[in-house]
Amino acid sequence: MGRAKDKVLKVRDRFLAYWLILPSLLLLVSIILYPLGFSLYYSFQNWNLQITPVPLGFVGLANYANALRDPTFVDSLINTLKISIMATAIEFTLGLGIALLLSLNLRGGNVVRAVLIMPTTVAPIVAGFLFRYLYYTDGLISYLLSSIGVSIPKQGILGSPLTAIWGIIFTDVWEWTPFFAIILLAGLQSISAEIIEAARVDGASFFRVFWHVMLPSLRFVASIIIMIRFMQVFNLFDIVYVETMGGPGTSTRTLSYNLYYEGLVNYNIGYSTAIAWIMIIIIAIIINLFIIFAFKEKEL
Amino acid sequence: MIKRPLFAQILLYTLLTMAVLAFMIPIVWVILLSIRPAITNRTIPPTLIFKPTLKYFYYCFVNPGMSLNYLISSLIIAFAATALSLPFSILAAYAFSRFKFTGRKFLMFYYLSLFLGPPIVFLIPYFLIMSRIGWVGTYQSMIVVYQTFTIPFSILIIKSFFDEVPVAIEEAAMVDGANRLSALVRVIIPISLPGIIVSSMFAFVFSWNNAVFPLVLSGHFTKPLPVGTLNFFATTGVMWNYIGATSIVTMLPPMLIFLALGKYIVRGLTFGAVKG
Repeated sequence: MGRAKDKVLKVRDRFLAYWLILPSLLLLVSIILYPLGFSLYYSFQNWNLQITPVPLGFVGLANYANALRDPTFVDSLINTLKISIMATAIEFTLGLGIALLLSLNLRGGNVVRAVLIMPTTVAPIVAGFLFRYLYYTDGLISYLLSSIGVSIPKQGILGSPLTAIWGIIFTDVWEWTPFFAIILLAGLQSISAEIIEAARVDGASFFRVFWHVMLPSLRFVASIIIMIRFMQVFNLFDIVYVETMGGPGTSTRTLSYNLYYEGLVNYNIGYSTAIAWIMIIIIAIIINLFIIFAFKEKEL
Repeated sequence: MIKRPLFAQILLYTLLTMAVLAFMIPIVWVILLSIRPAITNRTIPPTLIFKPTLKYFYYCFVNPGMSLNYLISSLIIAFAATALSLPFSILAAYAFSRFKFTGRKFLMFYYLSLFLGPPIVFLIPYFLIMSRIGWVGTYQSMIVVYQTFTIPFSILIIKSFFDEVPVAIEEAAMVDGANRLSALVRVIIPISLPGIIVSSMFAFVFSWNNAVFPLVLSGHFTKPLPVGTLNFFATTGVMWNYIGATSIVTMLPPMLIFLALGKYIVRGLTFGAVKG
């Protein structure tokens, strides 16, 4: 009899799981899938809000074709890839260095750890304010760089097409390197001290311990945060909006800024929703590449 | 513990100091910006010698105090967005933590992928939909839209805390006659309360720091503080000292929250994937 009761409970439980998820799922479907469907529909329409309040009709894939032929779109795709790859790579390298430094249990390390995370708590738009001020030709960063002999372009770091993109990248590096440092440090600390100690006692150099013991055990943590961060930079908007508005020219225009500009400055709804969908497809491809190569054997 | 030679010690502490300086100077510099007279803003070489003043904070937050309105908006939006997400996420987190069901993995992945998608993609449809229903410029437009990140985030974090509660505890409650839901409310939630608070603190920070959605959805009186700060980038010139003052006030709550979060920072920033 007890058994029969158990079975009934289980069946009811299984439905319970769906009932528990239903409220959040309904809300998220309505605020995510509905807008996505909405923009998919309009990406096939000729609709510029500056010209007409209603769409002018079905144009097939014309918006998509225009985007792929548009040099501004291609530029912003290249800029976005450049910024995401450079920023993630620099942040990971510096972050790993700082994590190793902190893992040595230096005196004051705990205080440093608590203070170091502060840039990551700053809103990206505020980081943009800070660095715009620091990058002025008479700002602190320009002053420090030129006093060690680095020549600053006359129009300022953000005013020259060659350096503006680095201005954006280093704002992001400032904000997110501590994120890598703190999480990689947690990863390093979870490696049992005995393993490292044993390797050292066996005469392995610090470099060998790092290469053969530490790096392999960091693999999962590193893959996760590299993926999270890469995608966040790939969507970069706030810093660009505050520091350069995508300029000079199109030298710092990212996919997100381009999309904002086409949709909410030019009000070209049909074209911008098409760009949005191209962006979604690119991002889906990148996420899947990450999953295939980095998380093959790991349960999410 | 391996004893290090003196020169290695010096090298390591030098590197540590340089790292701290590199990451702290921009913050110190904006603190100075908010209290320095405007004529010392952009001198060459930059100066540390000036008579500090609080007049920019006074102007922004007391009289005329326009930024005070934005600060209140920020608080309303971030608190409401966090509170609204809680009932939804606690229920779903419990289901993900305790039940194996068809579609579980797919849904978990769907929620996780919401963090990786571009918010800008949603901006244009939200703007059009919100204007249709007359919500542009209202608090509720932002509070609802923020659920796209507060709910999935809270589900993943709260689930990771529920996972740590032994099933035996709620089974004991159920043997005593409680059904699953009352076991959740009377046993699991009280035990996991610290975790729910941790998750809410993160959700608050993410909502507080968001500027993309309010850029388009907020109105004149509903702007959150960082978006209100854009007013100081006037065509007649950028009013840096005011930007400094409002930036400090924008930065303060997230910083204090992160100091309080301590060892949970790692779990929160990796969406529960790394326990730390």
